[in-house]
Amino acid sequence: MEREVILSVRDLEVSFPKGKGRFIAVRDANFDIYKGETFALVGESGSGKTTIGRSIIRINPTSKGKIIFEGKVINEKLSAEEDRQVIKNIQMIFQDPATSLNERATIDYIISEGLVNFKMFKSQEERKAKVVKSLAEVGLLQEHVTRYPHEFSGGQRQRIGIARAMIMEPKLIIADEPISALDVSIRAQVLNLMKTLQEEKGLTYLFIAHDLSVVRFISDRIAVIHLGRIVELANTADLFLHPLHPYTRSLLSAVPMPDPISEKAKELMVYTENLHDYSVHQPSFVEIAPGHFVWANEPELEQYRELLK
Amino acid sequence: MEKKFQFVEIDEQASEHIAAPHYSYWKSVFRTFFKSKLAIAMLILATIIFSIAMIQPLFSNYDPLNSPNILDFSLRFNPPNSQNWFGTDNVGNSLFDAVWAGTRTSILISFISTAINLTLGIAVGAFWGYSKKFDKVMLEIYNVVANVPFLLVVTMMLYVIGYGFWKLIFALTITGWFGIAYFIRTQVMIIRDREYNLVSRCLGTPTSRMITRNILPYLTSVIVTLLSREIPVIISTESVLSFLGIGLTAATPSLGRMISQYTSFINAYPYLFWIPVSILASVSISFYIVGQTFADASDPKTHM
Repeated sequence: MEREVILSVRDLEVSFPKGKGRFIAVRDANFDIYKGETFALVGESGSGKTTIGRSIIRINPTSKGKIIFEGKVINEKLSAEEDRQVIKNIQMIFQDPATSLNERATIDYIISEGLVNFKMFKSQEERKAKVVKSLAEVGLLQEHVTRYPHEFSGGQRQRIGIARAMIMEPKLIIADEPISALDVSIRAQVLNLMKTLQEEKGLTYLFIAHDLSVVRFISDRIAVIHLGRIVELANTADLFLHPLHPYTRSLLSAVPMPDPISEKAKELMVYTENLHDYSVHQPSFVEIAPGHFVWANEPELEQYRELLK
Repeated sequence: MEKKFQFVEIDEQASEHIAAPHYSYWKSVFRTFFKSKLAIAMLILATIIFSIAMIQPLFSNYDPLNSPNILDFSLRFNPPNSQNWFGTDNVGNSLFDAVWAGTRTSILISFISTAINLTLGIAVGAFWGYSKKFDKVMLEIYNVVANVPFLLVVTMMLYVIGYGFWKLIFALTITGWFGIAYFIRTQVMIIRDREYNLVSRCLGTPTSRMITRNILPYLTSVIVTLLSREIPVIISTESVLSFLGIGLTAATPSLGRMISQYTSFINAYPYLFWIPVSILASVSISFYIVGQTFADASDPKTHM
């Protein structure tokens, strides 16, 4: 079955100025996101997962490689019309609901900001109706339009952020750790809301997270990123059943178990870069099984193939 | 047995409801402001001084160059009495008329200059803080301007263009807005990269609206503080200049010139010196305290 690719990232490199030189935050990132799926990027703090998300939405400039959205390269200078299309079609849900809302604006203004920018309404009545509809979709009430962000709880604020992105009717949503700043009791609520909206609207998500249990719940495919490099990419089931790269395995071994006996018996795998000997054979990003990519060199690939058998 | 427990329906919407009354920014600002008794007293004082200074000179027709009672020696140096509330001066003019005419000039100069300085300063400063290219150029210009003393610039300008009401305002504003613009620039830079501004960029909000809706509302309190500081500063600068004999022509009544003229009578007729000085102080202090309290009140952190 041929699936439609909505976003491809090719040999992406993102670097930031650091002193006299440059710090490379992301290198050789390659992946495709298919239409309608949830693609997750997992990795530890500082691994570059947010940087990838932000360069797709064009907050961070890229230094090499291409980001292709619906067949068009978007990480270069675009015409005003193309720019509008990209802004409208790619939206982002931000990590921290405490800082991502304008405290001096009403909910009405916050949610309709994108609508106003793109003149996506014919009359003020239509705009208001759209705002109310979008609030209802995320479980908020019509009476909230005149309120200010500080009057809402963390979960409500995050849903306002979701409504603000959804009202643009985007095709791709980049969710940058959308639940990591939320209380555990409302994480499920927000995740379920995102899943429901995805089914209703046929959205595609790029889900950035560090919590493997969450990622396992929501995503179809997962890319594991370590120090700016994608080390493994596979279907969720494959990745959890056959983790190949030692970093993936160490990540999975660190997932806490809700059973004290097995938790005690659990063996943690510690990953260091010294595990690899790349002095003779250079590593590359290889498709070792259909849809299962891993960053490895020839001897390692042999080893991994043994594991897959 | 009586049923002790029964099932109830869960209303998901009920937990979303906000019970608190509606929050209105400006209503909360005024409520907080009017909590301060000192501020209310100062506001009343400022209003009284402002109204008298604006209205009284229209009826008195005081002209510092014209002394109709100069030949009537009985009208010279009269201490404050029921006829002349603030007494009379060395040429028989009513000090009451003179003081309010001077206050009117001072207030007008400070209000107009502050309005120009603040408008220019905020407009340039907001853009300056936002644009990195503009920042590079402006910083160099600012470094030059900021290192020339303000009083020197004003004095030099006045020597070049001459004295007068509008010329003084021009001299006070030609570089006066730079400091405000620089201050606003720094404030804008602090707020510019906050996450909600990234959000607005992702939504395609144009820079002009980012400045007016995302940045400036956060600076209300800072701007009111600037305003409350700028007005007394300009009033005292004008007085100092007039005291030194520059700035205004002899035809324009001015508190500073008055104080400088009456200084020689400070021992013999102290009221001639102290009345204009205390009016000048009252104007500065009342405007400053009203402005400061309003600045505090316009900070939403004080609304809780």
